[in-house]
Amino acid sequence: MALTGRAGLLAALAAIVVLLAPEPGLAVLAALLVLVVLVAADLLLAGAVRGLRFERDGERRVRLGQSAAIGLIVDNPGRRRVRGVLRDAWQPSAGAASRRAALDVPPRERRRLVTTLTPTRRGDREAVAVTVRSVGPLGLAARQRTFHVPWTVRVLPPFLSRRHLPARLARLRELDGRHPALVRGQGTEFDSLREYVVGDDVRSIDWRASARRSDVVVRTWRPERDRRVLIVLDTGRTSAGRVGVAPVPGSGPSGWPRLDWSMDAALLLAALAARAGDRVDFLAYDRAVRAQVSGASRTEVLSSLVNVMAPIEAELVEADAAGMVAAVLSRARRRCLVVLLTDLNAAAMREGLLPVLPSLSSRHMVLVASVADPRVAGMAAGRGTAEAVYDAAAAERLRGERREITAVLRRHGVEVVDALPEDVAPALADAYLALKAAGRL
Amino acid sequence: MTAGTSGRARQTARVTLLAALVLVVAALPVLLSGGPSGGRALDPADTSLNGGAALARLLEAHGVQVARVETPAAAVAAAGPHTLLLVTEASFLNRDAAGRIAAAFGDRLVVGSVPYLDVLAPGVSREGEARTRSRAPECTLREAVRAGNAYTGGVSLTGPPGATGCYPAGDGHALVRYAADGHTVTVLGDASFLTNLRLAEDGNAALALNLAGARAKLIWLAAPDDSAETGGGTDEEARSLGDLIPAGVKWAVIQLAVAVAVVALWRGRRLGPVVVERLPVVVRAAETVEGRGRLYRSRRARDRAALALRAAAADRLAPRLGLRRTATPEEVAVAAAARTGRDPEPVLTLLCGPPPGDDTALVALAAHLDTLERQVRDS
Repeated sequence: MALTGRAGLLAALAAIVVLLAPEPGLAVLAALLVLVVLVAADLLLAGAVRGLRFERDGERRVRLGQSAAIGLIVDNPGRRRVRGVLRDAWQPSAGAASRRAALDVPPRERRRLVTTLTPTRRGDREAVAVTVRSVGPLGLAARQRTFHVPWTVRVLPPFLSRRHLPARLARLRELDGRHPALVRGQGTEFDSLREYVVGDDVRSIDWRASARRSDVVVRTWRPERDRRVLIVLDTGRTSAGRVGVAPVPGSGPSGWPRLDWSMDAALLLAALAARAGDRVDFLAYDRAVRAQVSGASRTEVLSSLVNVMAPIEAELVEADAAGMVAAVLSRARRRCLVVLLTDLNAAAMREGLLPVLPSLSSRHMVLVASVADPRVAGMAAGRGTAEAVYDAAAAERLRGERREITAVLRRHGVEVVDALPEDVAPALADAYLALKAAGRL
Repeated sequence: MTAGTSGRARQTARVTLLAALVLVVAALPVLLSGGPSGGRALDPADTSLNGGAALARLLEAHGVQVARVETPAAAVAAAGPHTLLLVTEASFLNRDAAGRIAAAFGDRLVVGSVPYLDVLAPGVSREGEARTRSRAPECTLREAVRAGNAYTGGVSLTGPPGATGCYPAGDGHALVRYAADGHTVTVLGDASFLTNLRLAEDGNAALALNLAGARAKLIWLAAPDDSAETGGGTDEEARSLGDLIPAGVKWAVIQLAVAVAVVALWRGRRLGPVVVERLPVVVRAAETVEGRGRLYRSRRARDRAALALRAAAADRLAPRLGLRRTATPEEVAVAAAARTGRDPEPVLTLLCGPPPGDDTALVALAAHLDTLERQVRDS
């Protein structure tokens, strides 16, 4: 049960009656009695909440930054009207819009209420409780009960870098030779023979085929296809650090975790590689496999990727590089492109990845992509005061360490992409296209 | 959303109003009981500068019985043939009470500024204001002549025919004495020479003792502690505020307490449980760098800071100068000097010289490195 403000007002007004009553002591008792009787009557006459039935409908998935409408159907099988308020409680970061809604369900009828969710971070957001407060006809007291009506909305990564996809696909078509400009495909895999047209590179003329026919024939090339790309996401402690400005409102002022930027880059790469005809696998690892996608078809790979990525959070443990390399080697039997999304943290790299890197880079093409911190770049440019210069020195020291580790990695034959948060996705896609054009996959 | 917010604001306002009402009711007795009593002018029990305790002690030391009364009735009751009534404050009297005092036995010593002077000392009239200062008696009154100079003035008075006037002030005198109906009435223009503050000056104490100690018993009519309790000098019993409040108010307060309890129940009942959620850790990636910068600053680690800045500059210069990434700073400095046409010595000092001696030198070093990089870039 619950009392209402009206009951309090009634009790306060009774004080005036008591003030004017000839027998004030008795009046207090009478007022209390009247209040208790009225509250009890109101409780008895209020619509029953115990028998209410609930159903949910609506979306199961929503991209971060967008809104989802979740319907809640309240079915009142009782004989009295249920009138009052309803609170559909979600986890705070689900961003539920109407915290309490007015409810009025006539007997043996049902009503649908809509809760709009605007999540502020990735992951699974659950409906925690539905609380109904059914107010009596006098408005003095209410019956209240909390129900558990489960529903989970998976908040997917927003894939903001998909705006870079058309430009990269155009580059891919150029490589493929299918570009409207009829530029010769720059791939390395033999595709077919066709007649020479003016403008073709004379170096691509196939003299043997030309001799067989009375025509000049050129070879066409296409980029290699059916290569394997394994995207490995480091979910260790270095991925928890927040950088840049969060592109989704409500994520807080300290920016987005490196993990989210890395996911964005991974999604663009996966979308591009799937279009390019490569097979994309995915692995999230810190000290154990957090999530994986393998053998997904080209049309499904993106949706299964966002689905498994959604609930991943950075774990506050040091990533186990040896275990990760072992996991990669056990999954990738054939040579493939291993894209490792991690942070170029010098100390962590030296102790973790570098000792085990040779076993990986000897069998696979390795590409390390890392999100740089724009705040560090800003600090490095600080001049004028002693404080700013000390900060600049600290930032330069970090950048020096990153350059050094980048050089070490490159000596191991590893490609390195180190870019600011907004640029890391297109930079990684460009690196992939460059590798593909060079036939190094 | 806005409707809900305004509704909540209305509810909050209602609750606040109710709470304020209860508070006012609870605070009323405290407010009405008044603060601590300050000094009361010329009260024989008061030891502040304006009080009369010193005079009362002196009189008692000279064998005069001092009776402090607060009501006209008590004054009349205490009055006898060998008593002197001192009236210093009469603002709480009414005309009837003043008349009863005037009709009482015994002599009277009245301060001229009191109301109902025409009743208390008939025949004496006020002539105007006079500055209160030390004055000579200039009369034949024994008490005044023996006392000498005194701090008098205030109201200038003239007495009825046959009266004696002392201490000339303005058009009249500051002290007037006459006899009427068998008792002596003395009127003072100003009574400040009786106070604890002035008693030690001039002949003030002598004059006060002579005037007030003329009889064996002095009845000192002082202002009551609380004038409300003796309204108009009636003999009503003193009543506390609690007696004045109707009985219903107490019960109404109890009823209000019930109302507050009901409101507390209303506000205290949550609409469903508190929702908890495990949130990810919020740590900015740049925190370690900022921490290192603060560490440099607090330890004044200019050597390390300069090293980092120089190494970064050399790293950026090397590819521009066509050198390997592993080139030593000296090689970079020589190449940079050759490219920009600068003297090699200062460039060498800039890139691999000793650490700067103070913070100013460090700031200058950073600026010079920037300049060198710009020159190489633009060359």
